This record gives sequence, C-alpha cells and structure tokens, in this order.
Amino acid sequence: MATFFGEVVAAPSRAGMDDDEEEAAAVEREETPEDREIRRELEKKREVHILWSSKLSASTGSFTDEQFPCSKFILAIGHNAVAFLSSFVLNSGCWEAVGSVKLWNEWCRTSNTTSVLPTDAFCLFYKLISDPTVFLCQCNCYVAEDQQFQWLEKVFGCMREEDLQVTILSTCPVTDYKTPESTLTLPSPFLKALKTKEFKETVSCPLLEQPNIVQGLPSAVLSYCQVWQIPAVLYQCYTDVIKLDTVTIEAFKPVLSSKNLKSLVKDMSKSTEILKKLVTTNEIHNNIYT
Amino acid sequence: MAARYDRAITVFSPDGHLFQVEYAQEAVKKGSTAVGIRGLDIVVLGVERKSVAKLQEERTVRKICALDDHVCMAFAGLTADARIIINRARVECQSHKLTVEDPVTVEYITRYIASLKQRYTQSNGRRPFGISALIVGFDDDGSPRLYQTDPSGTYHSWKANVIGRNAKTVREFLEKNYTEEAIATDKEAIKLAIRALLEVVQSGGKNIELAIIRRNQPLQIFSAKDIESQVAEIEKEKEESEKKKKKSI
Repeated sequence: MATFFGEVVAAPSRAGMDDDEEEAAAVEREETPEDREIRRELEKKREVHILWSSKLSASTGSFTDEQFPCSKFILAIGHNAVAFLSSFVLNSGCWEAVGSVKLWNEWCRTSNTTSVLPTDAFCLFYKLISDPTVFLCQCNCYVAEDQQFQWLEKVFGCMREEDLQVTILSTCPVTDYKTPESTLTLPSPFLKALKTKEFKETVSCPLLEQPNIVQGLPSAVLSYCQVWQIPAVLYQCYTDVIKLDTVTIEAFKPVLSSKNLKSLVKDMSKSTEILKKLVTTNEIHNNIYT
Repeated sequence: MAARYDRAITVFSPDGHLFQVEYAQEAVKKGSTAVGIRGLDIVVLGVERKSVAKLQEERTVRKICALDDHVCMAFAGLTADARIIINRARVECQSHKLTVEDPVTVEYITRYIASLKQRYTQSNGRRPFGISALIVGFDDDGSPRLYQTDPSGTYHSWKANVIGRNAKTVREFLEKNYTEEAIATDKEAIKLAIRALLEVVQSGGKNIELAIIRRNQPLQIFSAKDIESQVAEIEKEKEESEKKKKKSI
C-alpha cells in the first residue's frame, strides 16, 4: 500500500508471513550460548534443596526411595504461625530437627543449618520423637512462585502419603479480606479455614467465604493435596499487624482443639513465656511508633 | 477500588472516603495504649511503656508530655509526627499567654491541635499526621477536662477514653467500670486508669507510666515504685473479691 508520502509500506497480510520475515524472527528468538548459560545458572541458583539429617533415615528404618511414613504433617508459614508452633507445640513435646530447606530468591536466602535465630529466614523440619510419623515444618522464608512446585515435589516426594493428614497455618493481611461489611468493624485477628475434599474432620473455625482466595505457598500445598486426594486443612489468620504480634499468634489457639494437634499439645505452661521472648526480641528495635 | 483513591490526600473516593485519613488512623493503632480518665478533682493519663533497647536511654522515650503547666497530653502513633505537634502546641500555649495574658483553656489548645491536623488533610502533597492525642488539664474555672483528637482533625470531650493498640478492649472495660464510685476520689481514679491498662499490658506494672494533674497543681509523673505499689494493691483487692465470690457460691 502507498502512504501519503508516496513510499510503499508492506501491509500485514493474513496470507502468512514471508519467508524472509520468518528467518529474521527466528534469528531473534534463538538464544546465544551465553544466554543459555545465564539461564542455566539462574535456574541452578533458584533450585530448592532439602537436606535431611542422618538421624531421620536411622530412626525411621529403611524404606524404598528414601520415603518415610508420615501420618501427620503440620506446616506453619509466616512468622506468626511459626511463633505459634514454637510456643504451643514445639515446647510441649520432644521434637528433633531433622531437615532444612536451602533456597535463594530475591527476597530471602536460607542456610542449610538447623540452628537458626528466630529473626533469620528459615524452613526447618521437625519430627516427634515419641511418634516418628508426625512431622512439623516451620517456614518463615519467602518461597517464590517458581520455587513452590519444586518445594512441594521435594517435600511431599519424601513422604509416604498413605494415611497422611496435613494441617497448614498461615497469616494474611485483613485488608485482603473481601466482605460486604466495613473492614473497620471486623474483629481482627480472626481465623478462617479452607479444606480439601478428602478432609472429613470438623474444622475449628468458619470456612473461608467466596470471593476470598488464598495465595502463595499455603495455596500451593492445599492445591497439591487436593489433586493427590490428601486430606488437608488450611487455617488462615487474617490480621491487621504484619509483624510478629502476640494477639495474632494467640488467634491460632482454636486450632489446638483440632484432632491433628490435640494429641501433640500436652504442656502449655511455658507457652506465654516463650511467646513473650519471641515477640520482645522483634519489637525493641522499632522506634517509628510510640 | 481503594487503590485508585488512596494516593492523593485531596481526593475523595466515590463513596465519600478519604482513604489517607483512614490509613492514618491505622497508624495510630500501631502505637502502644494510652488511657485518659477525668475524675472530679484530678485528671489521669496512663500509658503502656514501650520496651526500650538495651543501649537506649529510657528517659528519651516519652509518651506523656506537658504542653503547659496546667495541660498535658499523651499520644499514640508516629513518634516523629507527635514531636512536631507537641512543639507547635507548646509554642501556641506561650504565645496565647503573652498575647491575652491568660493561660490557654484545654479546649482552646485541643482546637488548635485539631485544626492543625485538619489542615494537613486538605493540602496537596502533605500526608495527615499519624497520631491521636489525649489532652488533659484544668481550666481557669477549675473544671477538669479530657479531650481526644484523631488524624482527621476531629476532637471531642470525653469522661474517659483510650487510644492506640488494644483500644477496643480497654474502652469496653472503661464503659463497664467508669462509675460515680470509681472516680469518687483521686485514688480511685488513678486505680481505674491502672486497672484499665492492666487489661492489655503484658508483664504488669513494669510497663506502665502514669501522670496526673490535680487542680492548681503541676503535672506529676509517678515513679515506678508508686506504680508497683498501686498494682500490688489492685491485685490484692482482686484476690479478695474473688475469695468473696467463691465463699458466696
């Protein structure tokens, strides 16, 4: 077609691209060896590694493909859920650290040691000594979207999924909660639950209503359990405090009456002390608000 | 919907919200609790003291400040914003005294602070102050006053009020327990303030700071020892009332 200035411009045609144009496009799309190398290195850097301690295989005996039997898996995601498990569950039984996740992404980096400070980013696995099929995971590092599938495969790949029940605890800002009521009247923090089809037990709080959705690692785990027909329940605490906060942590208490956790909590006497210690180490250095 | 209307302070949302002002009220909730009680001959301000870092000088972290000899205020929210407001209010108190040769009334200085806050909700490019304040004092005619301001620039007179974290819990406690008997004497009013704070303060009296103004007397800040003895008294009374209840059952 001719333009107003007289030059001829090739008009796009639905008849198909010319061979010349196809070749040019193909050259552009082709990666140079450097591009491939960079992509490979980036993928390697973003790999998720799970390091199980030798104690694990020793105590669970020998199993095929390093899979160990697991009847209960409790997963805490985010520092409030992690602090809840530390104060109410981990201190009232004998648990040993059996594994850690080493990953890197733009937001955090975890190390592969099991001795971590409460303020570090970590993802650790614990096993109950009196019942080696009960596992607990505390994950307060950010697992990026592209790493979630790897995390799921590597964690659940090590577990034998017969009779497995999964409980997930996480938090979410109350500003993400969609409701026709005004958010100013919401009694935050509050708990909402979401479960897979196979989960038949009673839930310790109301179910999450539509159109609310769950995002991130908790939703990845729940989706995985739904696809593989594993009974799982997610308890999400909607809170208006994004940092470590005792009121938010205590909002998880109704979960202690659930079937999965009831048998694990024997001694709650030290929970307040541990909770206070965890919160004060975090609180002291913030001077913006008085 | 909120995302399009919360950038600029001067823009109303279609349903009439000023989101920046509402978000500023959220910032107030991040500050520790402050309670104000108006008695008959006394006004009491009690605050939850924030734990200080090991190397930090404790006396530089203050939530209760005198604005003049007969007026003082406690705040909750952004520390830096509070400092600016307190400085402006103090200057205004002295300016008023020099100009009209009378000390400010509590209502006047509250109105000044509230007008200052309101101006920042209507200017372009400036965000609202992220603090709520409890202003207490005595007027020249001897009447005790308690006012509360919030980031929107509104102010109201109260018999007792709370701001900051856990304000809802403490307000419910005050609504139940603020009675004629509870404020009959100065001592009772002080005890009511401490009891209100104990509802939400962890580790008891150590984390409470208290200030009172009595008629024709300057601001008095309680020492830690005095607060501990009050807390011990309150706990004793609580034990006794529980024993009585058990006996009656």
